[in-house]
Amino acid sequence: MAEIRVKDLHFSYTPGVEVLRGINLVLSPGSVAIVGQNGAGKSTFVRLLNGLLRPTQGEVWVDDLSTASTTVASMARKVGLVFQNPTDQLFKSRVLDEVMFGPLNLGASQDEARQRAEAALARVGLTGAEARNPYDLGLAERKLVTIASVLAMDTPVVILDEPTIAQDVTGVRQIGDIVTWLQEQGRTVITITHDMDFVARYFQRVLVFQAGQVLADGTAEEIFSRPDLLRQAGLEPPPITVLGQRLGLARPPLTVEGFVARLRGPNGLAP
Amino acid sequence: MSLIRVENLRYRYPRQSALALDGVSFTVEPGEFVGIVGPNKAGKSTLCQALVGLVPHFYKGAIGGKVEVAGLDVHTTSVGEVSRRAGLVFQSPFTQMSGAKFSVYEEVAFGLERAGIPRDEMIRRIEWSLRLLGLWDLRDRSPFALSGGQMQRLAIASVLVMQPEVLILDEPTSQLDPAGTSEVFAAVGDLCRQGMAVVMAEHKVDRIAARADKVLVLNRGRVLAWGPPGEVFSLDGLEEHGVAVPAVTRAARELGWREQGGTYPVTVEAAARIGGAALGRDQG
Amino acid sequence: MQFTLFVPGDSWMHRLDPMSKVLLTVIGLVCTFLLPGHLAPALLLAASLVLLASAGVLRRSTAVFAGVSLIAVTFFVVQGLVYAGNQHPALAIGPVTFYREGLLLGLRLTLRLYNILASSLILILTNRPSDLVESLMRRGLPSRFGYVIIAVLQIIPTMVEASARITDAQRSRGMETEGSLWVRLRAFIPLMGPLVTSSLIATEERALALEVRGFASNRRLTFLHEESIPGYAWPVRIAALAVLALGIAGRVMLS
Repeated sequence: MAEIRVKDLHFSYTPGVEVLRGINLVLSPGSVAIVGQNGAGKSTFVRLLNGLLRPTQGEVWVDDLSTASTTVASMARKVGLVFQNPTDQLFKSRVLDEVMFGPLNLGASQDEARQRAEAALARVGLTGAEARNPYDLGLAERKLVTIASVLAMDTPVVILDEPTIAQDVTGVRQIGDIVTWLQEQGRTVITITHDMDFVARYFQRVLVFQAGQVLADGTAEEIFSRPDLLRQAGLEPPPITVLGQRLGLARPPLTVEGFVARLRGPNGLAP
Repeated sequence: MSLIRVENLRYRYPRQSALALDGVSFTVEPGEFVGIVGPNKAGKSTLCQALVGLVPHFYKGAIGGKVEVAGLDVHTTSVGEVSRRAGLVFQSPFTQMSGAKFSVYEEVAFGLERAGIPRDEMIRRIEWSLRLLGLWDLRDRSPFALSGGQMQRLAIASVLVMQPEVLILDEPTSQLDPAGTSEVFAAVGDLCRQGMAVVMAEHKVDRIAARADKVLVLNRGRVLAWGPPGEVFSLDGLEEHGVAVPAVTRAARELGWREQGGTYPVTVEAAARIGGAALGRDQG
Repeated sequence: MQFTLFVPGDSWMHRLDPMSKVLLTVIGLVCTFLLPGHLAPALLLAASLVLLASAGVLRRSTAVFAGVSLIAVTFFVVQGLVYAGNQHPALAIGPVTFYREGLLLGLRLTLRLYNILASSLILILTNRPSDLVESLMRRGLPSRFGYVIIAVLQIIPTMVEASARITDAQRSRGMETEGSLWVRLRAFIPLMGPLVTSSLIATEERALALEVRGFASNRRLTFLHEESIPGYAWPVRIAALAVLALGIAGRVMLS
């Protein structure tokens, strides 16, 4: 539904210190995980995708909108960004109002905004929390509220900055389901994360950032099968993949289910 | 003598009806690394704070049972006194910075000044602590110019410099990248070898399973399981309670790969060993 | 991050210990109210400016002075027009007459204002607040009070930073902040609630973190750095006290 084109992107916060050093990408609908060490430029990169930061050199286009000549609020029709720290984003005293804020800004009527908000809250599993104060919720649930507030905006591009921090198993699965749902809807989901298991399970494409550049760009399978690359980027494959590698499996599986299925297959293992 | 002894700890926050902790009991010996796992709202943070006395002294509320840390009865000792023997590191690195100091070196000194430690001793401890957390090269940098991961390591260093007998960490790696996470776990390993007792609340069960001596599983304030990782993660029904189980253990359970004692492997190494043998058997 | 007007530098003033600077400032303030007439306060102001210049902070000081110039102008205008002791007209602009007595009073008030500022800036511009607090704590200020001062100073930059992040979040959700002044003003209003809330939450988290770093302890403090009091500190202090003595003498003699 939307295509992002990044052309020769350079960015510095302070003159002379380049944080992003020449990025060329096209992001089409689908799920994309951005991984890499802290300081590699991932958070900076996504802020350049919705206009919060403007390129020092190069261009970022979302369909026919250039971030250099469009206000952030206008870009918000196309690109929704969920910040890493919920406290930065929450400013209403009721969850429902918080989630309705985005759609109302984009021109929805009160009724429409409410419907979208309720649907979004259902999708993150917070139905019933509408009247509560976001600050009375735990950190993980606050995170889900911020995700809901961006979902309610129905943008073709959704960016999540480290959504699984502090989430437990149930929370991670919920967020993973949201990623899958967005992907099935034909949207572009971009996620920054350190959780390799999460990447392996839910993402079609992986971008490895290192020192302000894209070190590698491929499927999760491709990326996790290259130890030299991973070491350079300070990463490790998910444990189940490492296990597959140790057992000498060709194309080691990325998920537990895949692993089990592979071993129960033609090799015919008990039970 | 156990460094930490918790007996039937029960606690209720003010203005709440449900118990946040409901009959928690366990002990930690010197040099042991104990992981606390469980879904969110299970009481992991509350328990961490109960070990230094923030629960109940800071939060008030109703408390029952006994918590003994480094020989002190936490319920009748001030947080300041307990904190001299038991250091607590929180989740968010930024709010743990004092804001009063302008270099990493001085920030670490902050707690020492409050404790009245002589200057030579201060200097010795600061270097030890910074080197342990890999911050020695950053010692002149401003704390506000650090990345989140570096800041968290600084928070740990600031607590460590007090040389507590016990170190408690509440989800310390949640904001760190894999390299930073490894550093924290490596530092914890070193500390345990030096005789410190370490308690860590964590979601990253793969790491906990590989490194911890014992695991305490909490759900809704109650202890679901307590014991070595191999035993604990082999139990049935953990996942239904929303408790994460290491990936290799889940695979091993499906495939029937067991250790000698009947438990499932909880580390990649163990799983590779057992799996390799199983595969070899099948093919040979 | 600290809210501070501190201008980093290596002048003699920067190297002077905070207590000496406190003394200078206090004496400056006392003299401001002590010295009669116009000439003496003017000389005091000139002396303060010289001190500020020698510390390399004159430019920042001028910015502060410029900031309050409007107040100074109102002194002249109001007193020149309506001071009760006005008798001799000095200046007439259309229907409005400014009187000499009023204008002179305006001058005295302005000199006083600028003297207060100049004396205070000697301390504020060449010190980090935390260094000053540490100096006080070396001399017995309980650490809790010291922290309260630091915490209050931290609220401001915390809020400034938080407001930038919150605004980014608002913009990312479609709220227009770029454009006309009116649009920008309107975007400011919803900022208040979350700003206060997040600052309070951060404060609580900070309090917890400090609690476990022994902040509440009553033990005697030790310090990492030795306080360095330069050799010229005592001569400076004595000179300042001498000025004070002169001021008092002058006041006594003239009244």
